[in-house]
Amino acid sequence: MATEAKIKLVAIVDDDELMRGALQGLLKAVGLPAQAFASAEDFLKSGLQRETACLIADIRMPGMSGLELQAKLNSERCSIPTIFITAHGDAKMRMQALRAGATEFLTKPFDDEVLLENVRAALES
Amino acid sequence: MSVPPNKKLTPAQIRRYALCYGLSLVSVAAAFGLARMFSYFHLPQPFTSFAMSAIAITFWYGGAAPGILAAVLSIFIRTYLFQEDVNLLGVVGYNIAFIVFAILMIGVRRRRSDLEVKVAQRTAELTRANQDLSLEIAERKRAEEKLRQSEAYLAEAQKLTHTGSWVWEVAGKRALHLSGEWYRVYGFDPSDGLAAWEKRLKRIHPDDRTRRQQTIDKAITEKSEYEVEYRILLPDGAVRHIHSVGHPVLDASGDLAQFLGSSTDITERKQAEEALRQAQADLARISRITTMGELTASLAHEVNQPIGAAVTDANTCLRWLNREHPDLEEARQAASRVVKDATRAAEVISRTRMLFKKGAPQSELVDMNEVIREMLALMIGDMSRRSIAVRLELAEDLPQITGDRVQLQQVLMNLMVNGIDAMKGSDGTRELAVKSQRAEKGQVLVSISDTGVGLPAGQADRIFNAFFTTKPNGTGMGLRISRSIIEAHGGRLWATDNSPRGACFHLTLPIRADSHE
Repeated sequence: MATEAKIKLVAIVDDDELMRGALQGLLKAVGLPAQAFASAEDFLKSGLQRETACLIADIRMPGMSGLELQAKLNSERCSIPTIFITAHGDAKMRMQALRAGATEFLTKPFDDEVLLENVRAALES
Repeated sequence: MSVPPNKKLTPAQIRRYALCYGLSLVSVAAAFGLARMFSYFHLPQPFTSFAMSAIAITFWYGGAAPGILAAVLSIFIRTYLFQEDVNLLGVVGYNIAFIVFAILMIGVRRRRSDLEVKVAQRTAELTRANQDLSLEIAERKRAEEKLRQSEAYLAEAQKLTHTGSWVWEVAGKRALHLSGEWYRVYGFDPSDGLAAWEKRLKRIHPDDRTRRQQTIDKAITEKSEYEVEYRILLPDGAVRHIHSVGHPVLDASGDLAQFLGSSTDITERKQAEEALRQAQADLARISRITTMGELTASLAHEVNQPIGAAVTDANTCLRWLNREHPDLEEARQAASRVVKDATRAAEVISRTRMLFKKGAPQSELVDMNEVIREMLALMIGDMSRRSIAVRLELAEDLPQITGDRVQLQQVLMNLMVNGIDAMKGSDGTRELAVKSQRAEKGQVLVSISDTGVGLPAGQADRIFNAFFTTKPNGTGMGLRISRSIIEAHGGRLWATDNSPRGACFHLTLPIRADSHE
């Protein structure tokens, strides 16, 4: 298939600069191509949605939230396996995210192994 | 004894006429009877003497008209009833004698009347004088009573307000008057006489003596009023706070002669003020904690963010090192990111800890721009998540002010949280603008404006009242406390409408601390 020929990209959407840097560094260390965006809007504008095999997104962000981004992508028939990471997630938020098709919902600080397993799983699917 | 015509006689007058004329008849009849008796015993016939006596008595007691009647009767009796021993010449002589006597008696009688009038006049004058005197005495008694009463009222009022009054002579340095309440306040015994100057000075708290004396000396030099607060130390060790006001009294040549004034015991007020200050400080601390509670979620995020990044960066660092051929450069980069992450977490913690500090207000040099930036840093995350833009306009040459940094932080945080809350439900632009500038009269002006719901219409100043709140969970103390903090710093805090919508809070703080001591 044509999509298989393309480089599988991991997109990071987080408004926190430190977190973006950390995630990018981690993915680089395991040899996965990653691209970071400071906001959901930036990601949508980039036009890289179709090339993105896995999305790591923060929930609470200025402007469009992570959940809103997920809904937007779903509505555009561009569902991307998504891993949410948040500084303070509650059970309700977690349920909402998973029901909408999220792959995983992690709370900061998270276990990098769990994150990478999920990323790898998303890339192989 | 003239009777005015066409005037009815009163019964008393009729009785008096009857008496007078009766006296005239009876006395002449008695003279006649006695004379007859004398002649019966052949004694020298003395009718003339008796009649003269009768006439005299009648004139004296009865008046002129009855006297004349007595004289006429005597002439008649003398002429017609005692003729035997007297010739015609004798009769005429006797009659002339009676007439002359009567005329003389009229004069006597008139004199008597004049005298009586004079006596009556003098008596009336004396009576009047006597009445005036007793009226005056009564008046004086009333005045004295009034004075006593007003003095009692004054003493009572002095007692109620713990205010003693005094007068002292500038040249002699001695008291001329000290009121009863003054003795009570200062703890002197009034029966020992006017308290000596030195004794009074000794009673003043040693730490306050110089300041009080300087104030008074200045008033003496300038011949001006003075007002001074100081403490006194009573023999039992008690300390009282005194508020004293003096007014200069000049003599005829315009020189300063005396000071008169009052000393009020304001100990209770001072204690109440201190208690109020304490309560306010406690309340401010509680409110600070409450405000912090509201920010907990935001702070958790603020702390978790760098910690999360640090964990990930540290793991990444290990991954580079654990490789078969460790990539030291990548590991170094990851490690330096850990340093950055941890530093930011520490910053957040230290800012937070500052807000929870307890203690008496501190006076230090504070850069308001720095305080604004610190508070914004704490809240910027919360604001960005709520899509609130921040506009900062900080004057670069802003002078430092003297004050309590923690309290000022609290005020700014309060005002910012209010602004953020006000924009909760508003559509359109959400902007919090914070401005600092140098204002006139050596002041710093800070303004915080939002584009939220704005001030309640017509209640722009009520929002500073205690317990006034428009928030469902508000205590109504935030603005009240903020205002008292700013006022304690010698500044002002007020609110205006922001254009085109929202509210704007302004606060001024004096640059020099000594202006608000």
